Amino acid sequence: MSSVIVCHACDLAHRLDRIAAVARIRCVRCRAELYRTSSASIDTAIALAASALILFILANAYPLVALKVNGATRVATLTGAVLGLYEQGYGPMAVLVVITAVLVPLVQILTFLYVLVAVRLHRPVPAQGALFRVLAALRPWAMAEVFILAALVAMVKLAAEADVAPRVSLGAYGLLMLTLTALNAITPTEQLWQWFERSRE
Amino acid sequence: MTALVTGCSLGLLVCTRCRATVRAIGAESSRCPRCGSPLHARRPRSLATTAALLITAALLYIPANLLPVMHTHTFFSDQDDTIMSGVISLAHQGSWPIALLVFFASIVVPLLKLVALGEILLAVSRKSLRYAQQRSRLFRLVEFVGRWSMLDVFAVSILVALVQVQSLAVVEVRPGALAFAAVVVLTMLAAQSFDERLLWDAKTGD
Repeated sequence: MSSVIVCHACDLAHRLDRIAAVARIRCVRCRAELYRTSSASIDTAIALAASALILFILANAYPLVALKVNGATRVATLTGAVLGLYEQGYGPMAVLVVITAVLVPLVQILTFLYVLVAVRLHRPVPAQGALFRVLAALRPWAMAEVFILAALVAMVKLAAEADVAPRVSLGAYGLLMLTLTALNAITPTEQLWQWFERSRE
Repeated sequence: MTALVTGCSLGLLVCTRCRATVRAIGAESSRCPRCGSPLHARRPRSLATTAALLITAALLYIPANLLPVMHTHTFFSDQDDTIMSGVISLAHQGSWPIALLVFFASIVVPLLKLVALGEILLAVSRKSLRYAQQRSRLFRLVEFVGRWSMLDVFAVSILVALVQVQSLAVVEVRPGALAFAAVVVLTMLAAQSFDERLLWDAKTGD
């Protein structure tokens, strides 16, 4: 049986006779990725999502960077960075930082965990369409990897004049970035839907 | 495959969210049976929305670069930093890799986004037949690197939180940072509201 896949990026129709279990298909005209499934198991995805949650809690509970001045130590936390912006009258910027560095990754992790565990237990996922749309819409706004590099930039800027040192949260945030990248890489759109469909069997 | 057949000509729609291919059933306001996203042959008012967001971003790009993003007050000096002066002082400090990173994320990426999206919009409105392949590659590059310009916004927030040693050194945010953050968000929204298929429509002629 052959099926037709229309390219979401250039509208070209492709007729495919047989699609392998693990496949990556690109549009012949615009090279957009039409279809991708991964060889990773759902258990790997759950393990990554659970690790991401633990790392997220560590990243938010502990200080990011410490600054030593005249024998006194001052630490910056993620919450401190947001509050600092707010207190100086830059509310919209504080909101943007909270959303991209804290809320989006958190909602992403929790949605992934809920959906993946439900699928794993062969439970039907209520509102799976809506949850999928949440995951897809949040993807471009999750900026853990940008944030971690920004923390390094801030440290380098200060290093010339002060004594700065990384703290627990920086490491946790770095690992969180790697975990989330891996989780996103093994859960392409088509793979998620195959898992959804299998859970209903 | 001999001739190029489009989804439109076959009466097929593709969901831009979950990429399911669906038979079009006439109704304009249909939803994807798989994920529930709205289905459109082409996203309505895509060009106008992208253009409006892009023009706003281009206007804000001026204060974002001219106004200081950060103010450093120390025992010895007071200093305002713009995006560019921040990069230059990193280079003077000798941290070349970091200076290059910030230069790329804060100067190259926003400029690339504005110029590339502007060029793409003009090409689509002129119904240009050539270079669709190159433009679609450029568009995907813009989509992919867009988020990295948030780097400076995050760096300023962390510096503000960290450097608050009263009477010795205090870092404060300045309005340029707000304009810069708005440019990042607006260009990301502009890229998201653009329907890539418009690049290819002139070619297939439907």
